[in-house]
Order: sequence, then C-alpha cells, then structure tokens
Amino acid sequence: MATFDMRNERLEAGATEAVQTQAFDVVVIGGGPAGMAAALAAHKAGARVAIVEREQHLGGILRQCIHPGFGLSHFKQELTGPEYAQRFIDQVRATNIALFLDSMVLGIDSGESTEDATLHTVTLMNPSGMLQLTGRAVVLAMGCRERTRSEIKIPGSRPAGVFTAGLAQRYINIENLKPGSRAVILGSGDIGLIMARRCTLEGISVEGVYELMPYANGLRRNVKNCLDDFGIPLHLSTTVTRVIGHDRVEAVEVSQVDEHLAPIPGTERIVPCDTLLLSVGLIPENELSVAAGVELDPRTRCAVVDQSLQTGVPGIFACGNVLHVHDLADNVTNESERAGAAAAAWALGAVGTAAGVADAGCELTVSPAGIAGYALPGRITTVGLTKLNFRVRRPVDAARVRILADDEELFAGKVRPFKPSVMESFPLPAKAIQRALDLGVSEIVLSVDPVEEA
Amino acid sequence: MAETFDIAVVGAGITGCAIARQLARFDLSICVVEAANDIALGASKANGGLVHAGYDPAPGTVKAQVNARGCELYGTWAQELGFLFCRTGSMVLGFSDEDRAQLEKLRSNGHANGVPELTIISPERIHELEPRASAKATCALWCPSTGFVDPFEVAIAALENAVANGVTFIRPAPVEAIEVAGGEATDRAAHFTLVTPAGDVRCHYLINAAGNGAANISHMAGAEEFQMVWRQGNIVVLDKEPRTLMPLYPVPTPVSKGVIVTGTVHGNTVITATAAVREPGDTQTYAADVNALLAGARKLVPDLDTRRVVRAFAGGRPVIQGTNDFFIGQSTVVPGLFQAAGIQSPGVASAPAIAERMEQVLREAGVALHERADWDPIRRAPDGFDRAPLARKEELIESDPAWGQIVCRCETVPEAEIVAAIRRRPGAVSVEGVKRRCRAGMGRCQSGFCQSRVVAILARELGCDPSEVLLENAGSWLVEGPLKGVR
Repeated sequence: MATFDMRNERLEAGATEAVQTQAFDVVVIGGGPAGMAAALAAHKAGARVAIVEREQHLGGILRQCIHPGFGLSHFKQELTGPEYAQRFIDQVRATNIALFLDSMVLGIDSGESTEDATLHTVTLMNPSGMLQLTGRAVVLAMGCRERTRSEIKIPGSRPAGVFTAGLAQRYINIENLKPGSRAVILGSGDIGLIMARRCTLEGISVEGVYELMPYANGLRRNVKNCLDDFGIPLHLSTTVTRVIGHDRVEAVEVSQVDEHLAPIPGTERIVPCDTLLLSVGLIPENELSVAAGVELDPRTRCAVVDQSLQTGVPGIFACGNVLHVHDLADNVTNESERAGAAAAAWALGAVGTAAGVADAGCELTVSPAGIAGYALPGRITTVGLTKLNFRVRRPVDAARVRILADDEELFAGKVRPFKPSVMESFPLPAKAIQRALDLGVSEIVLSVDPVEEA
Repeated sequence: MAETFDIAVVGAGITGCAIARQLARFDLSICVVEAANDIALGASKANGGLVHAGYDPAPGTVKAQVNARGCELYGTWAQELGFLFCRTGSMVLGFSDEDRAQLEKLRSNGHANGVPELTIISPERIHELEPRASAKATCALWCPSTGFVDPFEVAIAALENAVANGVTFIRPAPVEAIEVAGGEATDRAAHFTLVTPAGDVRCHYLINAAGNGAANISHMAGAEEFQMVWRQGNIVVLDKEPRTLMPLYPVPTPVSKGVIVTGTVHGNTVITATAAVREPGDTQTYAADVNALLAGARKLVPDLDTRRVVRAFAGGRPVIQGTNDFFIGQSTVVPGLFQAAGIQSPGVASAPAIAERMEQVLREAGVALHERADWDPIRRAPDGFDRAPLARKEELIESDPAWGQIVCRCETVPEAEIVAAIRRRPGAVSVEGVKRRCRAGMGRCQSGFCQSRVVAILARELGCDPSEVLLENAGSWLVEGPLKGVR
C-alpha cells in the first residue's frame, strides 16, 4: 500500500517545470529590518542582491509598530517603527538591489556542490507569476510569528475575540479598526505591554495584564511607560485558565500559579471582557529553513549557525528574529549587517576575510548551561574575536558568564544582574577559542551561574 | 405561500449532507435546513477525520452494518465528489498478552462485520508499516482499509453536489417548532411545517439528521423520545510533518476507541479523542483532557513533538443512552418522519452508507423515488493552490493575478482561492467558513497574520462592513467598528 506523502508529491510537481530565472549573488528572504540590513551590507560589499518580501511594502512588522523606542543605539535618536524602517527603505531604494514584493517563497533548492560553490535556487510566486532566483548565498530573514492560544493550551471555549497582540496591533494601527472595548492581556512581553497602552489610548478599557512568571517579561522601560503611567495593573504569577463565551468572549477565568507554574485551585477569578490579547512569546518562522535542509537546534527550534551566521547548509545564512528573538530592532540591524556582509563574502569568494572561512581544525560547538537559555552561535569555526549572544531563563541579581572547556574556565565576565527580557551579547576573545583548541575539546560551554552576593 | 418540499432534511452535518446528496438523484424537491451559519458545525467538525474500517462495533448493530459499508464507499465518494481521501491502512497497537487477546477479538469482530484483510502482525512488520510507531508494541492489528478525510470537506462537497442538483440550502434556520398535520404524508398538503426564524419550511417527508439536536427535533415532532448523552471529546491538531503518520490506535475501551494518533489529508497530525460525559452543548477544551491526549499520543508515537499544537478543540458525540447504536429508520410514532439519530462515532466513516440506507428506508416506506435523467454525481473540487502542480499554479496566476496574491502564508492560500470559497454554492459566509473551505487561517499561526485580510475580503464580497463580518455564528463579531475619529 502506498503511503501518502505530500512532500514527495510536491517536489515531483515542481521538478519538471521550466520557470524564468534571474541570477544574483545574494538572495535575501524577508524585507523587514533584518532583510534590509543584510541586503544593504551585502550590496555594500559589492554583491548583486535581491530581496524577496511577502508584503506589498518593505518594513516587515515595523510598519505596525507606531510607538517610539527604535533607533536609540543605531541612529542615536528615538524613532517610531515606521520611521526606523523608512530609513532603511530609503537606503535600499537608492541602490540597485532588486525588490520582489508581494512575493512568496515556495522553496529553496540547493544544487549539488560543485568545485566552485553551491548555487541556491529560490522559487517564488507573485501576482505576475512564478520566478526563480539563483544565488551563491541566501540570507534567511523571515522573522517570527506569535505563539498562539493553542500552543499554550488555554482551555475553554473558542469564541471570537481572542487575538494575538500583533493581530490586534494590525487591526488598530493598519486597518483603523477597534477589535473590542474591554480587554484582558495575557503575557507581559513587549508587544503585550505596548498594546496595553495602545488599547487604552484608543478607548479600549484594559482590565489588566496577566503574567504567568513571577516577573515581567518585557523591557523595564515598557512596563513603566505602558502600564505604570496608565494605571494598568500587572498581575504576576497569574494566568488565564479558561476562555468563556460562546460566540464572542464574555469573560476569562484567571488563576494564580504555584512555583511550578501550575494553576492553584481555589484562586480562580472571573474577569468580564470581550477581548483577550495574547503576548505569550514569539516563534522563529523556520519552515522554509527546514525545507531547505537547514539543521535546527531541537530545543530552541532555531538554526544552528557559526560565527559568520552561516547555517549548516553552505551559503545559507540566517539573521534577525528567524535566528533568535531579539529584544530591540537595533540589535536585529547590527546582526543582520554581519550576516549580509558574510553572505556577500561567501558569494564573491573573498578568501581571507574573517567571515565564512573556516580555519582548519577549528570546529567547536557552543552549548548553554546554568540559567542561559541558548547560546549563539552554536558552532565556532574560526579563531577570532567572536560575538556571543544568549538570554537567561530567569532574572537574577548577581550572576557571572563563564566559558568553559572541560571544566577549565576560558573566560569569565563580571558579576552583574541579568534579565530574561534582555538579549545579552559579549565578545569572546580569540585566545579563549585557541585555548579550547589546544585543550583538544570539541565543545565549549557558555554558562551563566548565579553567585551569592558577598 | 412558500414552496412545499417533498423532503426536508434537518441538519447540514456530514449525515444530512450525505443524505441530501444521495436523494438529489431522484425527482424530488429537497431542502436542507441548518440551525447554524454553515455546513458541518456540530459533531461533524469535532472529530479526527478518520474513516474507521468497522472492526469494533458489535456485530449485528446498525453501526456495524453501516461502518464497514461506509468505509468501502469512500473511494467512490471521494472520486465523484472530489474530496481528499487517503486510505493508508491503520494499526491497533498492542503492548501485552492481554492486548493481543483483545486484538484477536477485534479481528473476529471485524471479520463478522465484513472488514477485509485484518491480520495480526509482528513488531518488525509494525516498524515497516509505520517506522514511528512505538518500539514497545509487541503486536498490532493491521487493517488496510482504514483511511482519513477532512470531514468538513466531505460534508461541504456532498452538499455542493446536492445543491448543484437542485437541493435548496436554508441557513441559519434553527427549527423552533414542528407542526404535524393529520392524514398521510403522501397527501398533497404539507405534512410537516418547520417553524424557523428564517420562515416556515413545509414538507411532505421529514428527515431528522440533526446530530446533537436530533432528540429535540424528534421531540418537537412528537416522535421517539431519545435519551441523549453528550459524550464530549477533546482533540488536538499538531503542525505538519515531513511524512504523514498512519493512523495508530490503542486497544479500545468499552466506551471509546481510546486516544488515536493519525495523519490528516493535509499532512498534519491529529490526536483524537477523549471521552467524558459532560453538560450538553459543552464544547470547551479542558487542560486534563488535552494533557491526556498528548500523553496517550506519546505512548503510540514516542518521538511526537507535542509542543507543536496548532489547535485544540472539542465537541460532543450524539450518543443514544443505553443502546450506544445508531437509529436509522422511519419513526414508529410519526409516519413520514425518518430518523438518523445517535450518529456519534463512527459517523464520518458511516456517512455514505447511512445515506444509502436512508434511501432504502424511504423506498421501503413507499416514497416514490424516480431517478432524474439530468442528475450529475460529479462535483468539481475548487482549485487548491498549495497542492496544485507548478504548471497549474502558473496557469492560475495567469488567469487572474489574485491567484498570485498569497493571503494565508502558513497554508499558501491566495486571495483568489478565498474569493472562490465565498462565491461557491453554498459559499463561506464567515471567517471560519473560509478556513474550512480553503484552509486560510488553518495553519500554525492560527490566522494571526491573515485574519484581518480575510475579514476585508469577506466584507468586500458580502457587501458588508468589517464590523458585520463574523468568525462563525451570529454574535461572533471580530471588530467593533472604526477607531475613534476614523470615518
């Protein structure tokens, strides 16, 4: 009996057709802040670059982030999301970077490795038809999606009025539509905090922000500017345990949770509302990456990359929120410029640059330990100053970052507080990497360990 | 005065739609009266989509007769009605000697019910058939005839075909009262009058296929008093897998088939279903049920990534208390009323055979069934962009650029496909109706990216304001209206 297998069917369907092809050096998938920064950096390095963007406009999710707080580190100036995006849109428009807007990538095929380099083929479609773009390098910059109600398994009924915070943001900021009049917000991530303020300004009464964890998940400045300044209560260690309402949300049941995050029976409280907004996490949109053969870390579901942000598939790079969820768009920009430059160097075969060129014998994996939730890059293949990123899983007043190889401490940061809302970054000196190689280890550990205060 | 139909079918679930389609071939005026806003909004949408083979109903029951026959008919139905049907076969996994004894019983049951080719197989064969099945399974009942469908698609396809052959679909029209005239059903005057907010519906014969509402309809007509139980089930859908899983069953319990893991026609994985008697109408999901599903699924498929939940939902099985069987036949109390009641599991698998049996019941009751010369059994499925071969995709985009305008990124659904779903007859009138017809919003982001676009398309196509666009039924508005100061 033949087993039903949709993937094979699709590949067969696509294999025989001849579609118009255009050649580039670097094909960037995604026209948000990550894609634009990567494309501009690759262009600056002399590559022929294309950006493929699903929407009609460049800018990605920044288009609906009309609040300020962008650009403080990159432009030393406070901008709104659309203003921040526009600076990059203007730069892209001033170049010959090819733009494929309204275009959906259907797949990335990586041909056989030749002596030269692997050529990747990106198949896309738009209202004019199907098209294939080739490039020696591809930059994945698809961003992320919001975690849904189903993923966090909120029990109850399934009426209208349960929105991810980003969808509500789109209704309000892009469509000029009011999603409801009385909202409860679950999750104190930055989008949830921003939306608490936005709803209030639009006359939607926000009954409260509920947070499963014993601390706020968003940036401190957002808790202050978006909740405290508007008198919106933040209920920590509390979650929504039931959605009530048959056709439209009528109320939610909230419960306090114990130290294992399990709801405490007897603490249930009914909060009348017509709208439930969810700001319960972001998930990198890696479906295309997986289909292209990119290996993901099974735990974080993000691509495993090396120090040049190259994935396990030679010539495919990843940056921005598709690689790991950033706290600030400015950091997305910085990371993506590195990815774009590395992709251009790879595509143009620039030997001798730090990016993308492995040192013989250097192959280290980087693993998180202690309260570090992940470590990026997951692989180091050159001996050089390497930027490491991580986030902690819980807030601590005093902890230290350490890099370990077989219990030997290669590097130790200073004792300081850490918060899960902040994407941490620090430079790992080349000599620490060299030392790991001298020790003959294949793995180094990035450990964040709380310390007793003296 | 409004038309008097020869036959009114109450309920546009999979049973009512299948019956309407079956009877549409005859020279009869038929209507389908649905309480909700769309097709398949009751038990038909709250199940795992499995076309069970029919080895577990007790031999001699109505269920046993229609289940195996329904499963057999699915091949033809899928071809004629253009819906997706995968006959992958299934395994009931056994983990102990007691389980093996149960499998033997199931096999002889199946044999008695006419289920073909049942065999008990070894762990090696289990692994060959489904490499992801638990290595702890020591034996399994292999059943090649099991398959799965998208249950919405089956019901929608059947009703589209019925409507194309002249059947009238009336919605939303909850039946509030039924007046039964004296005399014979064959009299020229209407025998039954259904009172609904959409107006009275008159008919000579009435077919009750109201699912969980069947007891109420029967009561309103003064017929059998069915004692129903709301045996509620929670179901979980997981994200797509590179390879679709074969349906894997545990050894069944006395009241249900247990927690089953199965692939779907769209490549997702479904975990179905819990069974708990709850308040009638309760479609809430429960944390304990969802956890039981995930734990049960991991026993059958240990490497299942149960974090990738796309959707959890629940529904009630319309169970007739005591008999646990289907009731298909003419009412013994009210002549002219034909009942398809207690259609719980395996209602999806049985639907084509229930329709076939209902035709037989009508014939035996003396209803004149003359085949029409112009009956067309074929329903042409709408173009599904995601599944179309590349050449067809190009053709579609060339025919209309809206085919190249992707609205739902998770399921690759272009605007033209959504518009087609709304314009079909009967078409989608709600966001969920669009989702059930073309999968926009069905994927992993659960409409986070596309909902506002679908709302805009519905508002444009239906000629209404976005604030009038519904998620599902009346009252399920999505946006209140424009922001302050916006004209």
